[in-house]
This record gives sequence, C-alpha cells and structure tokens, in this order.
Amino acid sequence: MQLGDARTGKLADNIAAFGRALRRAGVPMDSSRIALAQTAAMLIAIDRKDDLAAALECVMIGQEQDRTVFAQMFEAFFRNPELAHKLLAQMLPQAQESAKAAVPRRARVQEALRAVATAKNRPPAKEDEVELDAAMSASQAIRLHHADFQSLNASEYHLVEQLARTIPLALPQIKGRRTQAGSMGHRLDWTRAMRDAARHGGELIRLPHLQRRQQPLPLLILIDVSGSMERYARLMMAFLHQSTRQVPRSVFAFGTELTDLTGPFRMADTDDMLLAVSEKIADFAGGTRLGLSLGQIRTKHQRQLVGRRTVVLLITDGLDTGSTNDLSQELSWLKRHCRKLLWLNPLLRFDGYAPIASGAQVLHRHVDGSVAIHNMARLQDLAQAIKRLLKT
Amino acid sequence: MTPVPALDSIDGVIQALAGAGYQAHRRLATAVFLSLRLQRPLLLEGEPGVGKTELAKALSQVLQRPLLRLQCYDGMEQREALYEWNHAAQLLHMRAAQDHAHVDEVERELYQPKYLIRRPLLQALQTPAPGAVLLIDEIDRADEPFEAFLLEYLGEYQVTIPELGTITADSTPVTILTSNRTRDLHDAVKRRCLYHWMDYPERDQELAILRAKVPQASQTLAEQVALFVSRLRSQAFSNAFQRGPGIAESVEWAKALVALDTLQLDPEVVHDTAGILFKQREDIAALQPMITDLLAPEAAS
Repeated sequence: MQLGDARTGKLADNIAAFGRALRRAGVPMDSSRIALAQTAAMLIAIDRKDDLAAALECVMIGQEQDRTVFAQMFEAFFRNPELAHKLLAQMLPQAQESAKAAVPRRARVQEALRAVATAKNRPPAKEDEVELDAAMSASQAIRLHHADFQSLNASEYHLVEQLARTIPLALPQIKGRRTQAGSMGHRLDWTRAMRDAARHGGELIRLPHLQRRQQPLPLLILIDVSGSMERYARLMMAFLHQSTRQVPRSVFAFGTELTDLTGPFRMADTDDMLLAVSEKIADFAGGTRLGLSLGQIRTKHQRQLVGRRTVVLLITDGLDTGSTNDLSQELSWLKRHCRKLLWLNPLLRFDGYAPIASGAQVLHRHVDGSVAIHNMARLQDLAQAIKRLLKT
Repeated sequence: MTPVPALDSIDGVIQALAGAGYQAHRRLATAVFLSLRLQRPLLLEGEPGVGKTELAKALSQVLQRPLLRLQCYDGMEQREALYEWNHAAQLLHMRAAQDHAHVDEVERELYQPKYLIRRPLLQALQTPAPGAVLLIDEIDRADEPFEAFLLEYLGEYQVTIPELGTITADSTPVTILTSNRTRDLHDAVKRRCLYHWMDYPERDQELAILRAKVPQASQTLAEQVALFVSRLRSQAFSNAFQRGPGIAESVEWAKALVALDTLQLDPEVVHDTAGILFKQREDIAALQPMITDLLAPEAAS
C-alpha cells in the first residue's frame, strides 16, 4: 500500500484512523497523542516501515501490555487496511456484547424497581436486619449457593456497602518518610520557622516541628476461587474492594491458575468490578493449586512485594490439590518477602477444626496468623483479629 | 572539543551512541531521536540491567551536556528534588539585619536566589545552553504525590517556587525517566512522555556490547557468553529462574571470566562463577542441572 505524502495529509489521515482503531481496540488514546504521532511521522524518514512502527509506538503506547495489540494492529493496518477492518470487526462483537451485557439493568436496579412496584402490598419489613443474618451465615443461605460472579443483588449490595463503611478494617499504617507539619516529630520545620521569624523582625518565637506522615502498608490479596470456596469468594471480593479502597493493593485470584485482578479492583463500582472479574477468571469453581499459583507470584509479580512491607491476605480453605512440598517452599519464600502473612480461613468456624488436610497443615505451619471468615455478618471480629495479629 | 555528531537522523543517533559505547537497538534509537526532536521526556521501562540508566549517561556524553541524576526513593520530597532554602545562611542574614533594617526589607532579602540550594530539577532548568541531561531514575520507587509534583516539569519544563515565582527552562533539558515497574505509573505522567519498553538485546547486539565493554575477552569467549546468556533468557529456561541476568550481569561475568584467565566456558567455571549471573540461592541451584544443556554447541541446539 502506498502511504502517500505526509504533506498532502494522506499519511496524517492514516495515522488518525490508526489511532482511532487502537482506541477501539482498548488502547488509551487521545487526540493530542494522535497529533504528536503525526508530527513524529513527519520527522522520521518513512521509507522504513520498522522506523514508522517504532516512532508511532513510542508516541502512542504507554504501557508494556499494549505492545502486542499495537504490533498486530500496525501490521494489519499498514499492510492491509481491509484486514484491519476485519480484525476490528472481530473485536467489535465482543465489545458490543459486553456493552450489551452492561446495558440490562443491574440486579440491584431491577430489585429496587421491583421493590417500588410491590411496596404498596407489603408492610415495610425490617428487611435489612433479617437479610443480614440470612445472607451472611454461609450455612443455609440459598441465595449464595449460585455464587458465580454475577452482580450483587440489592440486599447483598447494601450489606457489603454497610459493612465496608461501618467496619474499620484496621489495616496497619507505618510512619512513612514523608513529613508534614506537626508537633509529634523531632525535626525542626526550618522553612516555616524562617517565614515566621522574618515576619517578626528576625525573632524565632516558636519552633515548629515536622512529623512523619502515616502511610498505609500495601496489601497483596490472594483469593481462592476454587469450587470449595465459591460461596465466600464473591462477597469477600466485594467487601475487600470497598473496605481497602485507600490502600495500595494488588489482587490475585487463584484456582488452577493465577489471575491478576488488580485492574478490575481499580474500578470504582463494585458491580463493575465483579463483572470484570468474572470475565477474567477462566477457572472459576475448579480445583486449587496453591503452590503453583504462589510460584507464579514469585516468578512474575515479585516486584509487588517490594521492601518486605506488604501484608498478604491469603483467603483459602487450604484444600489444596497440588504438591505439599512445593507449597511449603513457596510459602516460606512468600513469608520471607512480606511483612505479615495472614490466612483467612472459612473452615475455621467448626469447633475442633484442625488443619488435617495436607495443604492446610502446611499453611498452618507457615502463616503468621489465621482468622475465621465463615460468618461475614461478624466481620467486626475479622477486623479486630487482623488488628491484633498485625500488632504482634 | 569534538563536534557534536549529527543527531538529525535515526542512523545518526545509532552511530553517535555507538561512539559513546552504547549499542542501541534501532527501535530505541527512534525513540531517542523523537524525544530529542519533539522535546519530550522519554520514559524507559524494562527489566533491571537492560541499560536504561546507561542510555542517559551515553546521551550526556554524545550531546556533551552535563548529566544530572535524580535517584528516586520512597518518601522523596520537594526539598530533595527541587530546592531548599539555606536556612543557616538565612538565619545569619536575619541576625545581621535585625537592628538596622525594616521588617519588610528583611523578609524580602531573606528569599534571594543566593540563599537557594538547587536540587537536580532546578539545576536542570537553570543549566545554561546547551542545557543538561536529566535522569529521573527509578521513578516507580517514589510515591504518587511525587509523580504529581513532577507533572509541571514534564509538561512545561518549568517549576513554581512560592517565594520566587515560576522558573522556566533556559534551554530544554533532555529528560530520561526510568522505571522498573514495581508499580504502574499514573496516566498523567505517561501522557507527557514518550514511552519505550526495553527488551533484553538480541544476541549479536549483546556480543557487540560485550566486545565494547570487555575488550580483553577473546572473540570466542564473548560469543560463548552471549550465547549462554541469551539461552538463559529464552523461553525454555527463563521460567526456571526468578530473575534472569541483565546486560550488566553478563558484562560483569565476562570481566570475571577474563580475570580468571578463562579462554573457553566449561561446566566447572560456570559453576564457580554462577554467583555473578544470579543473586538468589534458588536460582543458582536451578542453574546447576542445566549447565550442560546451556553449554551445548550451537549446531546441536
């Protein structure tokens, strides 16, 4: 294909179309980037295709993950625009599908609407309290039986929201290296002292101090989404999504393989997050291979455990189907690289629970502490327990 | 003083960098070329030891501009990155002026440029022509508020000091940012920069680097080292290790091998020097059973 002369605007048009195609394919793109790409293309000699590719890439791409999409799109677009359209057409139905999926009302909207319609016939029940216990005691809750990652229904939504708001999950803070004005520190705030002194004819009347700013410890959340955990995983995700908003966090789901959920957890809305999560997890309600998943953390995501500051929340029942030897090694590695390793275990509710399953035994040996999470109506206890365990 | 080599084409950039001992891939050279021409900061991401920091050093040599380095760390604040007032001098000034000067005058005199301690960002802006090369190293180690603080510099090449006003660059500094991706940078930073992901080099390129950096090593040894390291990074082997060796490691290794008077790699010498390639006990242990495979001559592979 002839690229045309940049000055006649053909190349510029092509680049604009290319930018739009990239945007449709999900690469963040704005018009200033497209304009910059056009300028960049003018600056290099475009007789070499790889130069053009490199130039457009360094202007239009901002993260490593997008590079593959870029390479494919570039190849298709500047060799055969027809192919590019086909490629896009292939991508589009998916995009439309997911758009469509989002359009039908969310469960909680529908429920809310239904509630309005039937409100006349029903006395205002103390629904919240009743629902709270029914929804959260995992034993009999029928509604939680079909715990795939659909959106939350209204009562669950309220519950999660309420819990997240009312229960301060006492996540630990440490004194950071950044400072702020305050009386608790030893360092003098010279800048402020000078400003004051200048105003008072050079007299240092009082000495303001700097104190170290508190900052939250980063979290690494590992959620088991295997069959035995399915009824807990979804609500736990919803709860953690809301209650750990202020904390830098990385989230992974594991079953037979590891799925990075950090992206979905960045979404503001819990329903959106759950939708994105269910699209991402391929092995929901399958088996558990904890050792293998931790191995993947070690090889691919090690950087997220920087500086031994991360608090790891491991949410699993410990019914692991992998090799215990591997698991033991991976856990001891993880423990060496994090500040605290906490095990949130739904099976801990039974009196006389003992870690008999081989995986659970290994976990029990390595973790810094374990907390029961079977009854989420009493998340208060969870918050307390976490606080207690992290203090020691 | 040698004249600045022509940086008006991608080939020119490659040659100039090669002259400074830096073997740049054509993709990287394109990014550097555009960053110079468009006067945009260049954000480099990649595994540790692929030559991100070295590029800034080489560029400063090529452009004959001073290199200013801002090493980021957790909790970095404005006073370490931009400026700080020399409080001791200010205090003395105040004491001296106390008796005879008016209060307003003291206050005005206190904030003169001569009491300003300039940190790398400010130095970069105030370096006289042709300007400086500013390396903002490992920006992912600094926290997010610091990123936000950098935006004004990255976008407009200016900073604002409350007592003095806005300071604009005399001549635009060439700015290189590096990140090891311990966390994702904010979009606002990325939007202001050109982006380049640095991969490990191809084997020929690595060989060229080894020849340039360790000229004492024989051609055979350098070839063997390049082959060995490129195999280590290949899909078949890399999964076994937590962290593959970077270019820095392979250069160090070649130096060590020269120091040991090695003419040719053999399992024993690899075993003895594995601590240079890998810094984790597990990785060194994982390497042992593979050494023979890794050393197999090329025809067999």
